[in-house]
Amino acid sequence: MSESGDKFREAILSPEEISAGVSDLARQIAYQCAGDEVAFVGIYTRGVTLAHRVAEALKDEGLHYPVGTLDISLYRDDFDNRRSDLPTLETSDIPFGLDGIRVILFDEVLFTGRTIRAALDGLMDYGRPAKIELAVLVDRGHREIPVQPDYVAKRIGTTRDQYVKVRFREDDAGVEGVFLETARKVPAA
Amino acid sequence: MRDLKPRKDLLDIEGLELPEIEYVLSNAVPFKQLFQRSVKKVPTLRGKTVLNLFYEPSTRTSSSFEVAANRLSADVTNFTVSSSSVVKGESLLDTIETLQAMRSDYIVIRHQAAGVPNIVAQHTGASVINAGDGYHAHPTQALLDAMTFREVYPDYQGRRMVIVGDVLHSRVARSTSTLFHKLGIEVGVLGPGTLIPPGRHEFIQRFRSWDEVFDWKPDAVYLLRVQLERQEGMFFPSIAEYHKMYGMNTERLVRLRQIGAYLMHPGPVNRGVEITDEAMRYERSLISTQVENGIAVRMAVLHWLKPETDTD
Amino acid sequence: MPSASPRLFQHGRIASAGSRNLLAADVLVDETGRIIAVGPGLTAPAGAEVIDCSGGVLVPGMFDVHVHAREPGQEHKETLATCSAAALRGGITGVVLMPDTTPPIDTGNLVKSAMDLVSELSAIPMFQSGCLTKGREGREMAGFSGMASRGVPMLTDADRAVPCPDLLRRCMEYARDFDLLVTSHCDTPALTKAGAINEGRVSYRFGLPGIPAISQEIAIDRDIRVAQHTGAKLHLQQISTARGLKSMQGAKEAGTSVTGEVSPHHLVLTEQDIHDYNTHFKFHPPLRPAPDVEALVAGFIDGTIDVLACDHAPHTEFEKSSEFGSAPFGAAGLETTVPVMFDRFIRKGIFGWDLLIERYSIAPRRLVGLVPVMITEGAKAEFFVFDPEGTTAVTRETMKTKSPVTPFLGETLAGNVRGTVLGTAWYPQGK
Repeated sequence: MSESGDKFREAILSPEEISAGVSDLARQIAYQCAGDEVAFVGIYTRGVTLAHRVAEALKDEGLHYPVGTLDISLYRDDFDNRRSDLPTLETSDIPFGLDGIRVILFDEVLFTGRTIRAALDGLMDYGRPAKIELAVLVDRGHREIPVQPDYVAKRIGTTRDQYVKVRFREDDAGVEGVFLETARKVPAA
Repeated sequence: MRDLKPRKDLLDIEGLELPEIEYVLSNAVPFKQLFQRSVKKVPTLRGKTVLNLFYEPSTRTSSSFEVAANRLSADVTNFTVSSSSVVKGESLLDTIETLQAMRSDYIVIRHQAAGVPNIVAQHTGASVINAGDGYHAHPTQALLDAMTFREVYPDYQGRRMVIVGDVLHSRVARSTSTLFHKLGIEVGVLGPGTLIPPGRHEFIQRFRSWDEVFDWKPDAVYLLRVQLERQEGMFFPSIAEYHKMYGMNTERLVRLRQIGAYLMHPGPVNRGVEITDEAMRYERSLISTQVENGIAVRMAVLHWLKPETDTD
Repeated sequence: MPSASPRLFQHGRIASAGSRNLLAADVLVDETGRIIAVGPGLTAPAGAEVIDCSGGVLVPGMFDVHVHAREPGQEHKETLATCSAAALRGGITGVVLMPDTTPPIDTGNLVKSAMDLVSELSAIPMFQSGCLTKGREGREMAGFSGMASRGVPMLTDADRAVPCPDLLRRCMEYARDFDLLVTSHCDTPALTKAGAINEGRVSYRFGLPGIPAISQEIAIDRDIRVAQHTGAKLHLQQISTARGLKSMQGAKEAGTSVTGEVSPHHLVLTEQDIHDYNTHFKFHPPLRPAPDVEALVAGFIDGTIDVLACDHAPHTEFEKSSEFGSAPFGAAGLETTVPVMFDRFIRKGIFGWDLLIERYSIAPRRLVGLVPVMITEGAKAEFFVFDPEGTTAVTRETMKTKSPVTPFLGETLAGNVRGTVLGTAWYPQGK
């Protein structure tokens, strides 16, 4: 457990546990998708990393699924609340047709479901998949949209005001782990 | 996430900081990518209204903004005011009141008098985009010019561009030269003495002939439309003379090709004045790319600006 | 308020043109508005109003030779009453009115009507000048003899230059017969055209058509030469460039009867001060670059420039709120001139009250044939009390002019005109 300022930070998945989770997702997908034409689409930023890791794991089983990337900034529903953070747009890159394909969307954490809703809108502007499924590393509950994952590595109970932060060494300067942050309650004077 | 202050309006290039310029130019790239999809739209500005308020006629700029707004799923209204119905001062304030009542989120305005977008911006919470005001500024043109230049020259810093023509009356020349200078690109100008203002920025080098221009080896030549309608006959004696001295003719096209430079023009072109038919077919002409990039840049600008409307 | 009681201005210091030093003395004004005693430690007679001037400076009333009061005909911008109130607020106890009213003042009868309005509506003396040409149209001479008989202090087409040199020459020759001062707005319309701002770096950046310096400079040279040729007395309005100043200096050295004025805004503002197309900074002649301003300040100090004149030119905020290119030129100046001069120069020791009194009280009166105003025993009481430790907040609510358009709007200037005395009347301004 570490403290910084007014937050508690607790590691809830170690790097080994993440690795196990990735393998678990790969296993679930291989089992469910046997024989289908499948493509992965990772949601920026860490969904892309997760998609690549799972695709790598599946190569060892002889399954080569292509990986595309999707930036959902332009599809979000909170445009009016941007305030001071101006998102840099990434280039979405889906270099294969989606029509008739079983597409698996990847994101590292599933929370309210709004990101996934935006991703579905974005994805559909690229084509008409036969089926769209969702794979996440962590599902932390508190859905606001009726979205459910098809492939999950870990379910974690959280309160609404906590933060679940996934760190991948490719994206976070070598840091690897899943952390739970809680705002510290200031004791009454 | 960048640490940029949100901005309500885009009125000119002078007031922009480099991080903001980089932000808009890099965001324009994914917007341009969308053009290759069959669904060219994104829902980002759905429910928002964009008002195109054009006091000067312009089909290319207003339709560019219209397409950009449409591709962001915004609702667009076009409002062209003919110059005969404009009475100095009065109409502008009355129009601003009407605009306020319409509660647009974005107002794109083009006007023959410098400073009008600034006035409108002060009186409305809508995000005001200057689509050209008198001789003063045309910021989205400058941004699309920069995007185009950087596409062909990713190593743009230290490269050179020369602007040819009527700089005195050109808001494009002012905005584009200022932006290119901010990006570290050297800027020169060529034109008749009557049309090169002495009060120009010091960083703009002046050339006296095409020979001097080609000796300088520019990486791009930017031709300005010669504003025949603004001349009042006092700035140069005839079109034929202008074309002879400053037009991009066959001989100069050969030299342009030799140094491998690109050709740019904000449009619309005056064939036979600043440019010839043959030059329009030049293999390194960026003119149509500029148009395409114009839509992407205008989408990036609409995405970036933040109106201060009541609902916030 | 006019009153029949004497007033004792106590504990102040008196400024005069003669010396940079201030004289610590009280001033006693009797019930007829005459100064009957000046000296330290005066006692107040029975029934006298005592005005504590501790820390304050008593300064002879100023006189502005370039004021547009806008009445008759343009009362939406200003009236004689509001103009008079603005003048008193600024420590100014007399002005010369420009004739560009509606109708323009180009006959003796119109001068008389204007002067009748002044005596009815204005609390301060105002002297109506007359047009050089009929209707200010620059085509035919106006009726000089009628206007001269009504005592016009000068002839001018106010904000318009006489385009034809031949007509200017004839006007000057004829004006000489009446010993009338010819006052020129120096401008070459064919060079100014639709210009809105000085032609140079700022006009480039703003994308506005520019007014080249030569437009005024050529006109100055022309008018001086015609004056030299005809022997007329010439007064040059609103000198704004170093080059124009130099021309005037050369003419003076050659013995020509020429005088010149400069405005406070041309002494303290440059074209770089114009921000965001703010039309409160739009003047004709326009604000110029720093080197010109420096030369004008030097000329003001060394006496090449004879008088300060604010060119009080009120326009309603509505009129000024159009886009820069088509907004009218000019701003209100009567209330801000003395505080600006104090804030920018006197308080910094660049020059003293003595210089300002010479340029803004004595020389302007002399220009139009009036005797100087002084704070001495026996003289009519005509002075203001200035509070160097106070401040003048330039805001819409506190300004007396009907059109509070000024480049100093929103500024808090150092110093404050605490009140102005004119004969039996004392006009306090509050704090």
